[in-house]
Amino acid sequence: MLTLEKRSPYEIAQEQFDLAAEFMGLEEDLRAILRVPKRELTVNFPVRMDDGTVKSFIGFRVQHNNARGPGKGGIRYHPDVSLDEVRALAMWMTWKCGVVNIPFGGAKGGVVVDPTELSLRELENLTRRFATEISPLLGADGDIPAPDVNTNQQIMAWLMDTISMHHGHLESAITTGKPLGLGGSLGRSDATGRGVSFTVAQAAKFLGLDLDDAPTVVQGFGNVGSISALMLHDLGCKIIAVSDVNGGIYNPNGIDPHAVVKHMKKTRTVVDFPGVERVTNEELLELPCDILVPAALEEQITGMNAPRIRPKIIAEGANGPTTPEADKILYENGVFVIPDILANAGGVTVSYFEWVQDLQSFFWDEDEINKRLKQVMDASFHAVNERAQAHKIPLRLAANILAIERVAEATRLRGIYP
Amino acid sequence: MTVPMIREEIKTASPNLWDVAFTQFTRAADVMELEDSLRLILGNVKRVLTVNFPVKMSNGRTQVFTGYRAHHNVNMGPARGGIRYHPNVNVDQTSAFAMLNTWRAAVVNVPFGGSAGGVVCDPRGQRTGREMTARELENLTRRFTTEIELIIGPQSDILVPEVNITPEIVAWVMDTYSMHHGHTVTGVITGKPLAIGGSALRDEAGGLGVKLVVEQAARLRGMKLNGATVVIQGFGNTGSNAAAFLHELGALVIAVSDVTGAIVSNAGLDPLDVERYRLLNRTLENYPNSEPLTEAELLELPCDILVMAGLESQINASNAPRIRAKLIAEAANLPTTPEADDILRERGTFLIPDLLANAASMMLSYFEWVQDLQSFFWTEEETRDRLRRVVTDAFENVVETSERFHVDLRTAGLMIAIGRVAEATRLRGIYP
Repeated sequence: MLTLEKRSPYEIAQEQFDLAAEFMGLEEDLRAILRVPKRELTVNFPVRMDDGTVKSFIGFRVQHNNARGPGKGGIRYHPDVSLDEVRALAMWMTWKCGVVNIPFGGAKGGVVVDPTELSLRELENLTRRFATEISPLLGADGDIPAPDVNTNQQIMAWLMDTISMHHGHLESAITTGKPLGLGGSLGRSDATGRGVSFTVAQAAKFLGLDLDDAPTVVQGFGNVGSISALMLHDLGCKIIAVSDVNGGIYNPNGIDPHAVVKHMKKTRTVVDFPGVERVTNEELLELPCDILVPAALEEQITGMNAPRIRPKIIAEGANGPTTPEADKILYENGVFVIPDILANAGGVTVSYFEWVQDLQSFFWDEDEINKRLKQVMDASFHAVNERAQAHKIPLRLAANILAIERVAEATRLRGIYP
Repeated sequence: MTVPMIREEIKTASPNLWDVAFTQFTRAADVMELEDSLRLILGNVKRVLTVNFPVKMSNGRTQVFTGYRAHHNVNMGPARGGIRYHPNVNVDQTSAFAMLNTWRAAVVNVPFGGSAGGVVCDPRGQRTGREMTARELENLTRRFTTEIELIIGPQSDILVPEVNITPEIVAWVMDTYSMHHGHTVTGVITGKPLAIGGSALRDEAGGLGVKLVVEQAARLRGMKLNGATVVIQGFGNTGSNAAAFLHELGALVIAVSDVTGAIVSNAGLDPLDVERYRLLNRTLENYPNSEPLTEAELLELPCDILVMAGLESQINASNAPRIRAKLIAEAANLPTTPEADDILRERGTFLIPDLLANAASMMLSYFEWVQDLQSFFWTEEETRDRLRRVVTDAFENVVETSERFHVDLRTAGLMIAIGRVAEATRLRGIYP
């Protein structure tokens, strides 16, 4: 079996950056600036637990770049959070915001904690204290968090409340992913999946692929996977297989994703859905189809299974589902891969809309949000695809180049202070 | 190409400094039976900010530097701590100094927390063989100040000059911060020149503090300072002033060292004359009527008083058995490892720990901040009187605690300091 040296996510992010920087001939000075985060704050903070004891936690907030606007990126609560992971995710956020051309830089944060071991009260204490500790960096104009792994609307509401209490007035634009009643945006929960479907539609048009009855496979049936399936179904695609963490279901004649959503609400899994074949998550990836949406975990398509994965289009709903080795194989096989920083950028785009609405205290209706999202996703797809076709390079490299170019231009224009 | 000069002190500065600071803390916390929750809070830094920032260099290129600012604790008031420009700057070292600064403030009951910071760079060309230009240092300083501005300020974190930080750099920090705020903010950094909000005694305070604690220690040990032999490691500002003060009292300064080398003269050196020579020639080398020696040899000279005014981690388990001084005053921060502490204690060496021996520079920094806050400045006499009172009281307080609990002065000082910070933390409670 092929064994690869285990690289940290930060090393991978820097490698990807170096590759793009080399291809575009970026000057050395800018490479040195952009390949490392601007700021990294590490905080050790105490939290009072329900049994009266005090526990100490470690948390991070990293801002990779803010040349184009405030840092933007999620906060995750997970026992495996590390500074290196947060650095990499912050850097990827810079490029993602650059690809869709929204005026944000990249940031990310996290706390080393297993939230399932905390009571609701402890989770709230932890959130309020962590928000306080990183508050020197946060701000509607400085750095705007969002939900990520194991964090949700409620946690964003606590974070927003904490900062607002410190300032003596409401600070709704300090975070996105808030509940609707609290300055949240319509369309936010569907945004990532909707964005995936927009990029698939554009890719199909470019490839001359008829989406009517196009066999489609979706790995992962969480928020992104399920919305992607529903949207692609609306576009005429024939969903032939979906999966969740327990396994996959397959019917070459098509599965109604609306029925799967209903089934999932009842049973909390897709696997015993009636009238289908059972497949494993691995088998599912290799099913013959036109469109594959990996919307589960990272590193699903590897050097091992990539030769057997032959859809016409892969749209990466998840972050990092394809390894660099697999990327090479897919490209040689002519698979059209829409990379994560483009395919799933709908989420951060509507986060941006939420921030804009909070800034202006004037809220858009859902149609307006979806229309604007489509404009952003379509324009980004075309910008990336044009670049890819012009240089005969994969879309991932083209997307990175486009993003780095935008950030580099902003840095050049602003100059080096003082 | 010139061969970079790698100094002995850099090569030996290897024990992890955070481990040193943490071991010192743990020893005191054990004697105090400090509760676990407070150990968790006080045994770690509150926050560390790492910044990577570009600086325009004289050759037109941009170079990216890494800098740090750590806050150990801010329960008693704004953090206060040094910044240094040195190739050895790292997170562990910065965190260790931040912790030490909390205790240094608390032991003299100054309402400050502890912080520290620095930039990994080589202003003297010790590694690169090329000195940084004044313009590069100014660009670096203004940009570093901007990057850490989020967490510094007269009410949140006050900087002080440390290794390789000149009065010009101090002024640039103050100017940058003030320009961003649209008005003069003097209290963001202490150690300023007199003309821009500095305090009287700025130059002598460190040396005066060493003199005060050495006098008290000598009295306690029945040692006569008249004729006592003195070795000074680190003939910078504090070291040279301490030498001059002790010389005035009749002590015989037999050896001194700085980054350019070390000299010894058994007949005794005139510190003021050495200082004049050093300013003129920018080196101690070839000072008349003296012999050169290595810094390692200097530390091991037989003498009555050894003043450690150089860098951290100078006395460790390997050279401690050969240190023959009767009395050691730690004017530098963390110059002695915990293993060396044990060896020196067994050998009966009287060690005045950093948090007492350099208490005067902490106090003067505090006095400067107070004068900046009130925009009203004290006379030299007033400042000197206050300094003397505080340092003397702190020394007595620490000695008394050390006798009551049968611990060394370092542990006693830390117990007093930790006790105060722990009390403040208990009173304030855990937010939210």
